[in-house]
Amino acid sequence: MKRRLLAATTAVTLSLTMAACGAASDSSGGDAEEGPIKIALIPPTSGALAQFGTDSVKGWETAVRLVNEDGGIDGREVELLVKGTDADPATTLRVAKEAVTQDGAQFIGSVMTSPEHGALNAQLEGLGALSFNSLGKDDALVGEQCSPYAVHVVQTTSMDVNALANSIAEMPGEKWAIQAVDYATGHSAAETFKAAAEKAGKEVVLEQFAPLNTTDFGSYITKLKNSGADAVFAVEFGADGVAFVQQADQFNLDDQLKTVLGLNMVSEPLFETLGESIVGYYNNVGYDAAADTEANKEFIEAYTEDHGSAPYYVPADAYAAAQILFAGIEEAGSSEPAEVAEALADLTVETNVGEVTVRGTDNQVLRDSYLGKVVKGDGGLAFEVVTNTSADVTTTESDPACKF
Amino acid sequence: MTTTAPTDVVSPSAAAPEASPRGRLKGTLVGLGIAVATLLAGLAVPYVVTDTYRMSLLVEGTLLSLLAIGIGFLARHLGLISLGHGAFFGAAAYGVGIATTNWGWSPTTAVGFGVVVGTGFAVVMGLLVVRSSGFGFLMLTLALSQALYALSVQTSARPLTGAHDGKLLSYDRDMTFLGLAQRDVMNPGLFWPMAWIALTMCATVLWLVGRSRFGTTLEGIRENEERMRFSGYDTFGPRLVAFVLSGAVASLGGALFAINSGYVSPDILGFTRAGDSLIAALVGGFGLLVGPIVGTFLFVYAQANFNFGGNLHLFTGMALILVLVFMPGGITGSLQKLYHRLRRGRR
Amino acid sequence: MNAAQLLNGIALGSLLMVLSSGLAMIYGLRGVANFAHGALYMSGAYIAYSVSDRAGFWLALLVVPLALAVVGVLLELVFFRPLQHRSHIELGLITFGLALMAERLVVLIWGERTLRVTPPEFLQGTSNFLGVEYPSYRLAIIAIAVVLAAALVLWLRSTTTGLHIRAASQDIETAAIMGINVDRVSLVVVAVGSALAGFAGALAAPYIALDPGMGSAFLITVLIIVVVGGIGSIGGAMIAGMGLGVIQSVTTVWSPSVAVVVPYLALTIVLLWRPTGLAGKRVS
Repeated sequence: MKRRLLAATTAVTLSLTMAACGAASDSSGGDAEEGPIKIALIPPTSGALAQFGTDSVKGWETAVRLVNEDGGIDGREVELLVKGTDADPATTLRVAKEAVTQDGAQFIGSVMTSPEHGALNAQLEGLGALSFNSLGKDDALVGEQCSPYAVHVVQTTSMDVNALANSIAEMPGEKWAIQAVDYATGHSAAETFKAAAEKAGKEVVLEQFAPLNTTDFGSYITKLKNSGADAVFAVEFGADGVAFVQQADQFNLDDQLKTVLGLNMVSEPLFETLGESIVGYYNNVGYDAAADTEANKEFIEAYTEDHGSAPYYVPADAYAAAQILFAGIEEAGSSEPAEVAEALADLTVETNVGEVTVRGTDNQVLRDSYLGKVVKGDGGLAFEVVTNTSADVTTTESDPACKF
Repeated sequence: MTTTAPTDVVSPSAAAPEASPRGRLKGTLVGLGIAVATLLAGLAVPYVVTDTYRMSLLVEGTLLSLLAIGIGFLARHLGLISLGHGAFFGAAAYGVGIATTNWGWSPTTAVGFGVVVGTGFAVVMGLLVVRSSGFGFLMLTLALSQALYALSVQTSARPLTGAHDGKLLSYDRDMTFLGLAQRDVMNPGLFWPMAWIALTMCATVLWLVGRSRFGTTLEGIRENEERMRFSGYDTFGPRLVAFVLSGAVASLGGALFAINSGYVSPDILGFTRAGDSLIAALVGGFGLLVGPIVGTFLFVYAQANFNFGGNLHLFTGMALILVLVFMPGGITGSLQKLYHRLRRGRR
Repeated sequence: MNAAQLLNGIALGSLLMVLSSGLAMIYGLRGVANFAHGALYMSGAYIAYSVSDRAGFWLALLVVPLALAVVGVLLELVFFRPLQHRSHIELGLITFGLALMAERLVVLIWGERTLRVTPPEFLQGTSNFLGVEYPSYRLAIIAIAVVLAAALVLWLRSTTTGLHIRAASQDIETAAIMGINVDRVSLVVVAVGSALAGFAGALAAPYIALDPGMGSAFLITVLIIVVVGGIGSIGGAMIAGMGLGVIQSVTTVWSPSVAVVVPYLALTIVLLWRPTGLAGKRVS
């Protein structure tokens, strides 16, 4: 009896679920040629990355406020749909699908991590939406995972590493040690850096990789101390980076080092946590806040007015992504994602991060990369840009693995 | 330590088998009839649910249900609670990814391969864990599945698994999965029949196994393993077979999941994912075959609607505690109790 | 290999020792692996952050165990005692639900950012220990953990309460028949076990970075330690914790990617070779 009951329950439950879904379905995206232009933002709202997600949304908000105050694009208003994800690729995909098919979004922004972008890129063409990546730096996103519907606004990791490697002469130290995360990024960064160091006549005395989410760096730091290195190139992100900096401090590692160079290790949101022990550290910087251009000044002024704090690279890149999108829509004379994507190919746009070009072969935005040094200013810690390296040097050609 | 009492979560299932062999046969036939009817009714779903988003939620729920009924089968028939079935789901998904992307196999063969890989892991893990029970079993399955996670994100595994970056499935445009090209496979409306057929078939098979002589042996082991051993039964073999069977069902879910999403990330093997499926199955209730399915659909619904601000786990944690404290047996178990009470009241 | 690397292992081992002895205590008595142990440890670290920000690290080291002991008392009174007739698995899963909720609550209170705690002034930097320049704070962790472990063992071996705890951990029903107030013993054990988790969190706060994933990162390692040490055996858990810390750190020097797998490898080997764990009770 019970068995029969259970089978009956299945049928009833499932058909009820489906009926409920069926009744609510049948909403589709708005007409692409009329009504507001809709951009879905899908930042992480939980996990260690939430802060970056929130700040990225702020950059978009400022850009949209300014463009709407100017009467929109071709008279059409721009509307932001702010969603959220836990940074799990599956969640992000689900939210993206919902935003495109239910809410009629044509464009996607503020997606954070590279795995999320990888998963999203695979589906963009089917969804018919154009994604603007201002956060995920993985090289594969403009390589084998590239999509004609994904614009890579942020510099790739290899662009950043190349810029650092190109500036190696600027930093004191002869014997370098490399401490990197055991992750694709860590390995490729280490390789590029090592080659550049040797070319510049420096010696690489130690190269070691720590798994992602390492909490205790004691063994690694002890090895660094014993290696006799006088400079360290560190590729450690997020909590790993904080743990590394903090434990290096406890081991007095800095005493024997002339230079600590980080890749994505030290950034503005972490300044307060890391404290003054990082003064003098070098790190790659995605955006030069001090750049003396009209577009940049306008951005900083508007952003500070909106959010009460000065922008750093995350909102700046989001704002740049918005500028590129708006330029693309204007160029295409349409907000149809396919047409915008086509119009963006090899388009040059004046943005807050300088004059940039969208490379037609892989949709990488060609822009400068910077080397910064942490200095103590009036308002606390800040980056001082030491060198800037143009895209001609950091990325000479697109990855052949990317085929549109 | 005191002996572990049979779990309350599970016990409501101890259904009295039908008395006569004829009644048993009749029950089986009726059950099969209902299964076929459910299967056919389900196939009409894409005509009712026309928008892709809701359809993709239904597909996701169906595929995760395969994982959940695997977990539920072990809980119902052996009283064993596993936190390790995510490993089989994930191993199968990676198997599909590796076979298509690295070796250029056709997606159909790759899905078969994925199921074999997942089941293979179930055999290995089963050999190590089925001797234990209760908490030992729970922790061992958790630890071993986490070992698989740790291995999958190793840099040396990168060519195979893509490590932390995950793995994007790619195969030639002219290759198809049972007639569906890669673009169509990602279309939930077109993929639905495969997911639905897989779920109804697996559920039916598990149901039939549960009714068979083998199922009775399993229940005997669950109730008192020592007595079964003294009565001359081998208990290791049946436990292992049941474990592998439930692992195989989870593997099928994982393999289809990989094909459908076109992307496998290590989260699939993670602690959180394993916990989520177990919670979904528990909330639905282990006592009935459909319990884990109901729980999984509820979970997918909650995930799509209550995840704002990342507070999903606050709610799932709460749901788990409430169900365990106030309604052991889960939602379906409580409905069942209510139904029986009403019937008794009427007489 | 040098002395500093060995000290690294002992420092990590000390932390794991404190953390796993609390888990083993509760497990031994209630038969429940407390999945919320990682969450308790994380809460301890975050509370230590807030307290040491306002009143200094030493006070945090005192306040955190007390606060967590109160949490333990609640855990016992709200869940463990009323539900003691339920199966262990169910109780364990309830603690799993509690862990999920606690992790989110920590985020809602302290936010998502990675935080750090500064050790007290005189423990910053390094000191010379047996000819090795080694961070003072890590030396302090080792010293504190060793003293704590000794005190715990002494307490269990030579006080009446300790005797009752050992008796009840052997066989809770017989202990009750013999006139031991099992409810009181259980309350003490759960409170002390939680306090130990919190204490470990406070100790770890200046050692590692605080982020909302820190609890679950350690939970699995600690569960493995308790199984390897022999379920319910506090001494076994201490030895296994220290041993695993040292082995893992030493392996890291040689090959970091092998070190990640060490706990799982240890578990599998111990189970195949000695299914009851090092200290010899049955795994169930």
